[in-house]
Amino acid sequence: MAVAWRLLDTGLRRAADNIALNRTLLESRAAGESPNTLRFLRFTPCALLGYHQSAAQELDLEYCRDHGIEVQRRITGGGAIYFDPGQLGWELYFGRRDLGVADMESVSRRLCELAAGALRRLGLDARFRPRNDIEVGGRKISGTGGVSEGEALLFQGTLLLDCDVEKMLRVLRISAQKLSDKAVASARERIVTVRELIGQLPPLSEVQQALAEAFAQGLDIALAPDELSATEQARFVAALEEIAQPGWIDLVAKPPADRSLRHATQKFPGGLISVSVDFDAVVGRIKQVWFSGDFFVTPRRAVLDLEAALRNVALEHLEDTVAQFFAAREVDCLQLDPASFARIVRQALAPAALAAS
Amino acid sequence: MECNGCEFRPELYYDSEYQIWLRREETGDLTVGMTDISQTVAGRILHVRVRKPGTLRSRGKPVATIESGKWAGPVPNVFDCVIEAANAEVLENPGLLNAEPYEAWIARVKPAAPDAVEALVTGEAARSGYCERCRREDIHCGRGAR
Repeated sequence: MAVAWRLLDTGLRRAADNIALNRTLLESRAAGESPNTLRFLRFTPCALLGYHQSAAQELDLEYCRDHGIEVQRRITGGGAIYFDPGQLGWELYFGRRDLGVADMESVSRRLCELAAGALRRLGLDARFRPRNDIEVGGRKISGTGGVSEGEALLFQGTLLLDCDVEKMLRVLRISAQKLSDKAVASARERIVTVRELIGQLPPLSEVQQALAEAFAQGLDIALAPDELSATEQARFVAALEEIAQPGWIDLVAKPPADRSLRHATQKFPGGLISVSVDFDAVVGRIKQVWFSGDFFVTPRRAVLDLEAALRNVALEHLEDTVAQFFAAREVDCLQLDPASFARIVRQALAPAALAAS
Repeated sequence: MECNGCEFRPELYYDSEYQIWLRREETGDLTVGMTDISQTVAGRILHVRVRKPGTLRSRGKPVATIESGKWAGPVPNVFDCVIEAANAEVLENPGLLNAEPYEAWIARVKPAAPDAVEALVTGEAARSGYCERCRREDIHCGRGAR
């Protein structure tokens, strides 16, 4: 028989409330006071840091202040995101052993595959892309993150129903140095919204129903709508006291790093490749890369998938990661040697390029 | 010593779930790290945050947090203690926790009770419990493959 889970819809709220509810629901699930829960949530405009991130490093705080964008810190891992009422949040609270898989990567995969299945119910060709994204045609439509506490887990995702790309880029400082039309266009190519794919915004209730049905079927659970319990209400008040104050947002405070992107362009046999690299020089890790240029790769989405595969890769593993990526799938690059993608990244990070950037 | 490829060290102390290892120092402090099981379950670790030295952490409150594959999680604490120090090398290079979990210590703590380790598991009892968890949850470690 299907196990009973609660279906909770906390509606549109400010970020501090939503994060305090994360803390509340995870702690009370860990304490054995709450049932497993699927929660839907939405946010008034806000910038949300990943748990281990620093606001000054990730966000344009002045822009946020000037535009009434609330800054908050999530309790889950992952990168900073911009949230407004155009996105739907979905969250699952459950026990570590409830999915029957031990490692966190498998938990992410299982839940992302179910969420992708929900989007297919809406007529979108959505797929899970390791390690944490759901994509349509190579373009990201939902990002995810999680947190564990004792025996309880919280896994959450953001579904882009609609998205103000320009504002998102400004908030996230991705190309705050010079927000060119090209940067906006390039970011737009890499993400996609439900509105763009089906030409209109479906009713929220329809999207929520698709997600609820996909999780219910995939996890063999029965969802019953309910509210917060009295003990959860009490925990919420306490959690809000910690979270709705500057100490929480400044929990990790590092000075703004040099986020200027490093660029390189080179003509290889088989095509011209340009790359922009967001590099964390302190730990020697690629944060993100963007490829463009004049080269022939089929399927075209392989380039976007390669960018995803290179996220958070230590520089020493660059060549291996690129080689493994091309070994694992059928990609036609014509005359272009796939190793060129690693070479151009190396070139962007070479000392001379760093001095010039 | 190994179970399912997960390294075990009999001279260390462990919590009952084998999430952390602890080593008793001559000063009475305890050095805390993650087991091979924990680093395997977590996957590639990207961030580590240790509470400030001098902070009192009560039982159940984490001494540190880690992040892997967008999962944030606690490095649990099984007794009342004060944080004495964090391993700066690990803070700068969290991947060490994956590569050499028993060398890459995370924090040194001073337990409130001098006999705190008495409640922990060690030696042969620890080995059998450690292997039991590997088998029960079908956990296989493979550090070379990472």
